[in-house]
Amino acid sequence: MDRRSALKKTGLVAGAALALPTALSLLQACQNEKRPDWTPEFLSPGEAALVTALVDTILPRTETPGGLDVKADMFMDKVFARVYDPEAREALRKELAAFDARCVAGQGDVFAALGDTERASVLKAEEAAGGKFNPGVWGTAVGEQEPVSFYRNLKSMMIWAYFSSEEIGKNVLSYDPIPGAYQGCIPLSDVGNRWSL
Amino acid sequence: MANFNIDARQAMTYDAIVVGSGISGGWAAKELCEKGLKTLVLERGPIVEHMADYKTMNDDPWDMELREALTPEERRKHYKGIRSGFIGKSVEHFFANDAENPYTEVKPFLWIRGHQMGGRSLLWGKQTYRWSNLDFEANARDGHGVDWPIRYEDIEPWYTYVEKFAGISGEPLGLPQLPDSHFLPPMELNCVEKHVKSRIEGEFPGRHMIIGRVAHLTEPLNGRGKCQYRNRCSRGCPYGAYFSSNAVTLPAAQATGNLTIRPYSIVQSILYDEDKGLATGVRIIDAETGESMDYRARIVFCNASALSTTQILMNSKSNRFPEGMGNDSGELGHNLMDHTYRVGATARVPGFEDKYYSGRRPNGIYIPRYVNVDEGSRSRDFVRGFGFQGGGYRGGNPANISDFGAGFKEEILKPGPWEFFITGFAECLPYHENKVSLDTENTDKWGQPTLAIDCEFKENEKALNRQIRKDAVEMLEKAGLENVMGFDNEHEPGYGIHEMGTARMGRDPRTSVLNGTNQIHAVKNVFVTDGACMTSSSCVNPSLTYMALTARAADHAVSELNKFNI
Repeated sequence: MDRRSALKKTGLVAGAALALPTALSLLQACQNEKRPDWTPEFLSPGEAALVTALVDTILPRTETPGGLDVKADMFMDKVFARVYDPEAREALRKELAAFDARCVAGQGDVFAALGDTERASVLKAEEAAGGKFNPGVWGTAVGEQEPVSFYRNLKSMMIWAYFSSEEIGKNVLSYDPIPGAYQGCIPLSDVGNRWSL
Repeated sequence: MANFNIDARQAMTYDAIVVGSGISGGWAAKELCEKGLKTLVLERGPIVEHMADYKTMNDDPWDMELREALTPEERRKHYKGIRSGFIGKSVEHFFANDAENPYTEVKPFLWIRGHQMGGRSLLWGKQTYRWSNLDFEANARDGHGVDWPIRYEDIEPWYTYVEKFAGISGEPLGLPQLPDSHFLPPMELNCVEKHVKSRIEGEFPGRHMIIGRVAHLTEPLNGRGKCQYRNRCSRGCPYGAYFSSNAVTLPAAQATGNLTIRPYSIVQSILYDEDKGLATGVRIIDAETGESMDYRARIVFCNASALSTTQILMNSKSNRFPEGMGNDSGELGHNLMDHTYRVGATARVPGFEDKYYSGRRPNGIYIPRYVNVDEGSRSRDFVRGFGFQGGGYRGGNPANISDFGAGFKEEILKPGPWEFFITGFAECLPYHENKVSLDTENTDKWGQPTLAIDCEFKENEKALNRQIRKDAVEMLEKAGLENVMGFDNEHEPGYGIHEMGTARMGRDPRTSVLNGTNQIHAVKNVFVTDGACMTSSSCVNPSLTYMALTARAADHAVSELNKFNI
């Protein structure tokens, strides 16, 4: 993203008509910029660039750390590599390719190579599609669950990776490993952010 | 705490053998040891010493390589149990290995087991309720199953006895259908739960919402610390704040000097002397070496968990008992029950945005049974009844919010909306055809027959579930909640993890396996005091009743030994 924005600003790229071979080299460039020392366990360089770009767009750095600051994309790759079954990995690969294909069809390039505005319109369309997660009771979802999109599943995983990271879990969310007591009704202002654990 | 005496090579003969070290086995060990009996506890799995073996007790999510996720190998190990939703990385080592301990689901049935010292007492939900005469008289009243040989009055002093030692927190209510325990102070309801309670109790006279009655200390007791509200119970509690064999009964048994606990000991069968008409001990297989050996004792307590106890009895064949020890009635293995599970409603709670709570309370609300408790509450659609567990909390799934970027990220760092759920637990009738049998075709890695489980909920349970869902939706709507969604996950039996029956107590040896003091009718020195002994299932959680029946039976056993009756 940054690379393309930079190119745009310098006038080297006009409009959205970007030749595909150029996109490939840009992907490498984006990935190198964001994650110079990262060799993913499962994701290909192109897939890693997509996941990294999604994390950066959905959970950007503000006054609080962003998803990339806490390596949410790297953790997700580790989960794909060590938690997913081979069939699930195969399906993931197809979904990631389909996601980028939608970006190319709609916006002219893969997600990682799009600018902020184009990324936003892609994610707005993704947000509008498919069902929402049903509530769960003690570890299992209840009720009739309508199908949830690949995008929302990936977003859910990304939020898990973010919240369960040490930096967010300890220093951003409200962290109290040994509360010592239960207080059932206190002002929210006494706590602030949501409980970490 | 002193190390456990695990050296069972010193002696092959004891006064008493206890098979299993879970909730009821721990109690049997404590009571028998304290009464002076040299007692051998046989545990199928490893020793889990309080504190020392709670290896994940302080882990934060980021301390685990994959946080709570399981690898494909770990999922294969728990390929059946995983569908419970309870097995994550921090607790998976306390759930039995399904691959090494197979069972056959003739009809779908989830069998959750804990193969280690303490068994499922490490993992249980800790909801703790007395049964009442509504339960003990139920079979006699409506004709399902056989009559219990005991009444509330028989077990009442034993409830008090075990409660004083286990430590039960809760609020007295004075309801005849849910007798009050000997209570430590109750845990606190949160603002939303108090609000919903007052609305439901106002709209539905006769219904009550209370804080759950739980086996958690809210005050220190006997050197154990009170609950620190970490809600990491199933990893083992370093404070000993909830009741487990590991933290409570087995250390008490150990303190007498009379306890030996032998780990990795799979009990293959109970040995029987035809001349005396009594058991003489048990045959075990060492799980690590495969070696078979016999231990002798004057009495045997069966506390391997409902289905495992029955499996052992079925495997204990002799000329006198060709169909399994104590199976003169043909009822051994039959009348398997569980509670129905995950039927209820969820909702959003409007308001209270500026309120929160602190502490992770390992407990929720409870709505005691209110149907079929008297003439006025009688249902024409079903017999027996149900209760609800549930609670209010700030939840919401951040992934459901249709937004992304800086604003989205700041929003999800804040607590989500208040939500509320209630989920019912219905009584299951004892049906002869709901049964387990020995599967000699499929043996386990020790060459032992496995169990085939053939059990299903029937029309009465389905009718109870329909009523649960309807009532749950109605209560949450009348309480003024929004987005009320009823649900019925239609879980098969086993999900309640309250499997019970298969060696029932009864008055008549022709129709039951055990007598009124949990002795096998025809083998009076064998006692069964785990879930196998249950004659009906009530709708409340059963563990407290197992504890009380065990203490009562141990008292009777020692009295009979002293009179030379067994």
